[in-house]
Amino acid sequence: MAEIVVGTLTLALDEDGFLENADEWNEEVALALAATEEVVLTEEHWELINYLRNYYAEYNVAPMVRKLVKDSGKSLQEIYALFPSGPGKGACKIAGLPKPTGCV
Amino acid sequence: MHDAKTLKPSDLGRQEEQLIVVDNLMPLLPPYDQPGMERPFGEVKGAWREKYCTSLDGFVGIDTLQRPKTKEEEKEFVQKFLNGLEKILSDANNGMLQPLLLSLEYCAKCNTCSEACHVFQASGGNELYRPIFRSEALRKMIKKYFTPSGRLLGRFVGADIEVNWESIARLGELAYRCNLCRRCAQTCPLGLDNSIFAKEIRKIFSQELGIAPSPLHAKGSMIQLKTGSSTGITKPAFLDMLEFMEEDIEEKTGKKIKFPLDKEGADILLIHNAGEFMAWPENPAAFAILFEEAGLNWTLSTELMGYDSVNYGIWYDDTQAKKIALQQFQTAKHLGVRRIVIGECGHAHKAAAVTADRMAVGEDKIPVESFLPLLWDLVRTGRLKFDPQKNNFPVTLHDPCNVVRQMGIVQPQRHILKQICPQFREMTPHGVDNYCCGGGSGFAIMNSLNFGQFRDKVSGRMKFNQILGAFQDTIEDPSIPKYVCAPCSNCKGTIRELLEFYHTTEKFNVHYGGLVELMVNALPDLEKPYLEFLQA
Repeated sequence: MAEIVVGTLTLALDEDGFLENADEWNEEVALALAATEEVVLTEEHWELINYLRNYYAEYNVAPMVRKLVKDSGKSLQEIYALFPSGPGKGACKIAGLPKPTGCV
Repeated sequence: MHDAKTLKPSDLGRQEEQLIVVDNLMPLLPPYDQPGMERPFGEVKGAWREKYCTSLDGFVGIDTLQRPKTKEEEKEFVQKFLNGLEKILSDANNGMLQPLLLSLEYCAKCNTCSEACHVFQASGGNELYRPIFRSEALRKMIKKYFTPSGRLLGRFVGADIEVNWESIARLGELAYRCNLCRRCAQTCPLGLDNSIFAKEIRKIFSQELGIAPSPLHAKGSMIQLKTGSSTGITKPAFLDMLEFMEEDIEEKTGKKIKFPLDKEGADILLIHNAGEFMAWPENPAAFAILFEEAGLNWTLSTELMGYDSVNYGIWYDDTQAKKIALQQFQTAKHLGVRRIVIGECGHAHKAAAVTADRMAVGEDKIPVESFLPLLWDLVRTGRLKFDPQKNNFPVTLHDPCNVVRQMGIVQPQRHILKQICPQFREMTPHGVDNYCCGGGSGFAIMNSLNFGQFRDKVSGRMKFNQILGAFQDTIEDPSIPKYVCAPCSNCKGTIRELLEFYHTTEKFNVHYGGLVELMVNALPDLEKPYLEFLQA
């Protein structure tokens, strides 16, 4: 199993690089996950990460991509520019959300 | 490694690192006949070889099938599999026993099915993927353990297969190289069905060994039974999405639409594949626009199990399938609706209208219908009017196997497309002779490890070629948008992956989507196109 070292902690990742245990997420972990995606986090990244985390905290599921686009005021292209693997595989991963499931 | 042309079913038990490689893929049509147009397969990681069963063809379909750590574990695995085998041959398997036994006993090895199989053809005739290869391997195991002659005489009567962890695990993986599309069953002169073997092997793995691909089970049907949807959408999340979609519809079309929710006694309970809400909300939105326009008495349900039509159980586990189907019927019953209408999801059609038809009895049963005849009725009787010039670009139609081959719903979608798309053209072949998109029976959502590569390059290859074939006249002109109409969430997901993998949208302006989006796009009173790729 893949893993990631953050400070003194070693966290388990699934084969796609998502956290096995979403509760282990913190801002330092986000930085380490971002490094696996070759993304350097800026203020703009954090806005999206915080939006995703707040939505997930309220509804226990990631928001629809269209809603993310509208609420963030960023186009899908701009989101891809920030997170090259896209909103699901990139932004959600760094924000510590579980991998999307079902027919999506 | 074996020559893919001489591999035999008895080779499944051989102690080799990997039986075959896929290295002779069917050529693609122009412009994909040029070198450099297709990425090669990635390497199989050493760590995967140690942990999973990569010893079949290098791909891992079952991410929960892990190598045993002790001799005892291996022994237990073999014994449980044999127990499962005994059960599927007993009266307890009453829904499937007769067709299973017929297919087991009467195959004449004429290989008509091989010509029909898109996986076998796409692999360049790799013996491993011949439809009867898997069937023969299972026959040999059954013969070895459950017939007097096989027990006594073994390989002298054809029971020449080693039964150990390796051969059973390989058989389990091989059960996930078949899309359960049943094109082979349709063509068999004796009416036998190879997909039954693939499905029964998957069933033994899940029900006896507790092993199933996590996108289907742990992250699929289990999440559905817990939250109401395999996407994890809970009721509050669902309500939030609908509210958002209502605003979105008004912004896009100027139409004020309120989704009818939990309306008791409605004529129609419409159930979508909930993946639509997450990934393609324009599809359920288009349904709402059309149903409201036509003045139907319909509702959505926000009850647990009432807003997701999926039933992954039918691909791998009868008990999961039954739990889900009965709860979905219960929801409809509580609402007192007259009928359930299934939206654009193929396997949900089969699950609710065909498979579950034998699970629910008497008062538990609610009539289940497809959206297609209903839509055609609205078009035919003039309750919906269209301006076909709004869809004046090349459009082709993919036939979802579960709707078309399994249920015989062939013409309504074509009648509609012929009225609203002046440049509609068929794929070759089509209708009940269609090829699977390559994502059937769960492949669409099985993305762990390297399985996506098998789908994009092998099982989806025939469909990709059919798409190229349908657009040969315009494919190389990127100024002309082209649309693959795929009225099924799984097929749509697969075609999305294919168009991404081969960069076909980016290079050649090929798009995909459902049927209802095309219908809404052709509504005369819309000021802007409904389809996003036309909005530029």
